[in-house]
Amino acid sequence: MNEAVQPKPDSRHAAPAGDAFELVKEKAGFREFRMLANGLRVLLLPNRVAPVTTFAIVYHVGSRNEAVGFTGATHLLEHLMFKGTPEFQRSKGTAVAAVLEALGARFNATTWFDRTNYYETLPSSALEVAVRIEASRMRGALLRDEDRVPEMTVVRNEFERGENSPFQVLYKHTFATAFREHPYHHPTIGWRSDIEEVSTARLREFYETFYHPNNATAMVIGDFDEEPTLALLARYFGPIPGSDQPIPRVYTVEPPQEGERRFVVRRAGQIAWCAMSWRTVEARHSDTPALAVLGNVLGGGITSRLHQALVEKTLALSVSVVPWQLRDPALFSIFAPVRPGVEPSEIESVVRREIARISSDGVTEAECLKARTQIEAEVVFDRDSTDQIAASLSEAIAVADWEWYADYPAAIRAVTPEDVQRVVLTYLHDDALTAGLFLPKPGAETEAAGGEEAEEA
Amino acid sequence: MSTAATTHRRVPFAEAVRHRKLANGVRLYVLENHFNPTLALSGTLCAGRIFAPAERRLIASLTAGELMKGTAKRTKLQLAEDLESRAASLSFASDASDPVGVDISGGCLSRDSALLFDALIEILRSPTFPEDELEREKKRLVGSIRQQQDQTSARAFEEAMRRIYPPAHPLHRNTGPERIARVESLRREDLETFYRDRYGAASLILVVVGDVDAERVLDALERGVSDWAPGPEPVIPPADPPPASPGTFTVRMSDKASADVVLAAPSDLRRTHPDYLATSIANSALGQSSLTSRLGVRVRDTEGLTYGIHSSFGATQVAGPFLISVTVKPEMRDAAVASTLDEAAKFLREGISARELDEEKSSRSGRFQVDLGSNAGIAQALDAAVSYGFGVSYLDEFPAKVAAITKEAADEAFRRRVRVEDLTIVSAGSFAA
Repeated sequence: MNEAVQPKPDSRHAAPAGDAFELVKEKAGFREFRMLANGLRVLLLPNRVAPVTTFAIVYHVGSRNEAVGFTGATHLLEHLMFKGTPEFQRSKGTAVAAVLEALGARFNATTWFDRTNYYETLPSSALEVAVRIEASRMRGALLRDEDRVPEMTVVRNEFERGENSPFQVLYKHTFATAFREHPYHHPTIGWRSDIEEVSTARLREFYETFYHPNNATAMVIGDFDEEPTLALLARYFGPIPGSDQPIPRVYTVEPPQEGERRFVVRRAGQIAWCAMSWRTVEARHSDTPALAVLGNVLGGGITSRLHQALVEKTLALSVSVVPWQLRDPALFSIFAPVRPGVEPSEIESVVRREIARISSDGVTEAECLKARTQIEAEVVFDRDSTDQIAASLSEAIAVADWEWYADYPAAIRAVTPEDVQRVVLTYLHDDALTAGLFLPKPGAETEAAGGEEAEEA
Repeated sequence: MSTAATTHRRVPFAEAVRHRKLANGVRLYVLENHFNPTLALSGTLCAGRIFAPAERRLIASLTAGELMKGTAKRTKLQLAEDLESRAASLSFASDASDPVGVDISGGCLSRDSALLFDALIEILRSPTFPEDELEREKKRLVGSIRQQQDQTSARAFEEAMRRIYPPAHPLHRNTGPERIARVESLRREDLETFYRDRYGAASLILVVVGDVDAERVLDALERGVSDWAPGPEPVIPPADPPPASPGTFTVRMSDKASADVVLAAPSDLRRTHPDYLATSIANSALGQSSLTSRLGVRVRDTEGLTYGIHSSFGATQVAGPFLISVTVKPEMRDAAVASTLDEAAKFLREGISARELDEEKSSRSGRFQVDLGSNAGIAQALDAAVSYGFGVSYLDEFPAKVAAITKEAADEAFRRRVRVEDLTIVSAGSFAA
């Protein structure tokens, strides 16, 4: 690998990192620090399962912070963050991806409604490289027009791949129908014409607004020692000033829904899909754990109610239940691909019948216990690998904060069958429903599974 | 407790892993790792599609898939209830990507290890293949095949494998309608017969990694399988690669915003071939990563024609294909294919550069370490090392094996197996007629 990015011995490791940070809080193995100079939050969680460390940084900016004309900007910007900085760029042989790839790192970045996250899981001896890269691109991204132009078509192909998937089409329509005022209305990938037309200058403005240490949380999880790691963070992030302006907040609120909404998408395809979603609450809300348990009772495994009622009865090929957990009030969704020959409306009738059963009779203590056990165990399984913890923690930080993650198992443990019945009665009613269908277009590809015979060119 | 996986003062895997070979052929491996109260299970058994009759390969995947549908002691629902209520997971699968093995994988909180092992042994030894479950699965499978027929990626891959491998070869893929007809004709007796003929102790490998007492796990598993009949010796039938049969094909589909293109040719590369690592290092430089490999830098990063482009060898114990796959807006297909072929030809001419070789080698060693960062990762790596016949010490020797690869070896191994003019090119998507 290139000499410019070899980890160097930290000449300042003797300097007390305590000067740069204040310890904010400590809980469940986590230690939260705040960098005094610029407001960067730092979260440390030692986990010496292997000589591997994950470094991750979450920016509190997602498609929630966009509006018409620049939908998809957060995601496009995330792509451009790989195009380089003065220090890390392809023309110098130090492209971000090349440097990380040469270390064997597992790395990427993802964008979602409430956040953008960048992460690197690498041999613990190489942690410094990840810290340098993230510090470098926090304020130093080049964001050149000659990089945006080819990257726009890369992202457009990502959009097109999504459009190939009936599930993704349904979920985009669901959010666009259920949210009319709040920016969860538009998908994180953006609308096609915005992806194509947004200017480099607009992306830069977006970057200048949101990419600051005081709008980010850095986390180190895995095999590291606290003192030298804090010194490392102080060395690379310490010189970056906080933002001049306050980070703009999102103040748009989706008003209550006053009646069910329906949509149909007709496209060529083999399989119909059915989606039903109800407006619910924000992740921090006290009903979130009960909604999570409900999601598991309905869709967690072969024994769940909807698997039994839909898949075992050969009405649907599978079923997914998603209790979305986002920063602002979100949805409780059910998606199912319909078995050919079954009337799609039959899926909705069965789902309604199962929900009505819970409304009237509740769920059993055994079902509730099984759901709680599975959700709690997921948190334990997370700890098997540092990148899994980082992924879960990033979501928690985006929608609430890290303590929400630390407290989640206890909150789940406290959910009773009565809570589950209550959230069904409170949220899963028709006035809050958005129901959608993906229907194979008549006439296109009616051949059973075959479509057209491949032809020789 | 300090083991290979858990500290910097590494005990070699060869010393840390406890193992037992039973008289009936079962091989058991356990590694203790006490950092988290969980365990991961990985295993293999030689009962993949290569052992099924050429006309009815999918008996193998269906037999593996139906194992959990009922045993002599428990119904499917009872088994699921017992596992799910403790958040334990267990699965058996055999798909076309590995014609030889049935993959066993599972996991649980370590307090539930007895529950997991009991279920594993009961399912392996006494499946009942209930008629009603099979009929239900056939209906679901027909729907799933139709669902796949709607995916450009599946269609391009399937057509490529159908074109480059003849019908008798285990990597040949039938068309969707052919597969549906075969699913519908399957009977319970077919699965029972395949199970009776192919499942047995002789080829079974089980690996457990996690917060367990190794000797107790070995004892428990031994008690469960020591009196299982060996069954057939795991002798893999020959499946030589056919000669290349280049051609260009288009699968036309409606309303697809993105198309998939697969460029493919048979190769002689097995995972157990002495050239495997050298070939694989050369391939990484060409196309392992959409962001950093030559194909990615040209077709994605510079020309912006695709979100994803990869090249790979489908090497298992059977020689698999060399494949390049790329997704593209339909109108940009020709440009993307031309650039891909040009870049591959250039790579074959120039060979890997000294810098690429260094980076790919350090990448491979680093990635190996990163992948061993979880119980499941270690279990899968051990399972693979043992089933390919490399032994546990392969995990210790891997970095040195990678370090020893030279430019000459990588170039020669790659050039021997890849010729641009051999590639069959299949596109699936919404193209004008």
